[in-house]
Amino acid sequence: MQSKHYPDISDIIARKQAGRRQRAKLSFAEKLDIVDALRERVRPIVEARNARRLAARQPA
Amino acid sequence: MSLRKTIEVITRLAKEGAIKNYAIAGAVGALNYIEPTLTEDLDVLISLADFDKRQSGLILLTPIEQALAKIGYTERSDVGYVVEGWPVQFLPVGSPLDEEALDEAVEIDIDATGDPPLKARCLRAEHLVAIAVRLGRLKDLARVQAFLEQKAVDLNALKGVLERHDLQRAWTSFCAKASIADPLAIA
Repeated sequence: MQSKHYPDISDIIARKQAGRRQRAKLSFAEKLDIVDALRERVRPIVEARNARRLAARQPA
Repeated sequence: MSLRKTIEVITRLAKEGAIKNYAIAGAVGALNYIEPTLTEDLDVLISLADFDKRQSGLILLTPIEQALAKIGYTERSDVGYVVEGWPVQFLPVGSPLDEEALDEAVEIDIDATGDPPLKARCLRAEHLVAIAVRLGRLKDLARVQAFLEQKAVDLNALKGVLERHDLQRAWTSFCAKASIADPLAIA
């Protein structure tokens, strides 16, 4: 059986972790703005989920 | 509609005396220490003195509800009162851990540009982590892991809180689920 070679992604993981630590250092106010923006981004998904739940509750 | 304005309303209620003691908890409280993550509501831990206790033992949020209604916030959602577009969940102190967390909450800057600057009370990192360990849902454990990865909690302080509130077993269980060596073993 031929052995597979997988790329080393440890540098990618380390960069992601560094990014998380960087974002953790933002001010509370900056983070609040980010959360507002994230919420806006997922609003259509949340609305669709709520509509689905509502429809499921309605008698057929 | 913004989370900042929602928090501003909470601080206003506290200033006016409608809320006696409060602190931002949950995902928004965690924002003070770790990277931002998506959340659907604002959790506010409040003292039992803020509740209207009936003879039946039922506790009601009447004073806060009335104060919110007075300034125009009458909408309710599944998870709480809607304030500036954000559902706010007022959580009563439910254990000695909550009580300690509320007592030791810290004041943080929300908007330093305001006059006067806007400040709010927020739970300490070690209490947010201990409460998440106690709750033990997957999303809570993910938050604990974020605090550890981002080195956002003082491990000695956390160890003390876990010991005081008998949460060592829950902590060990978290470490097993997260497949990590216990970081408190060397703290």
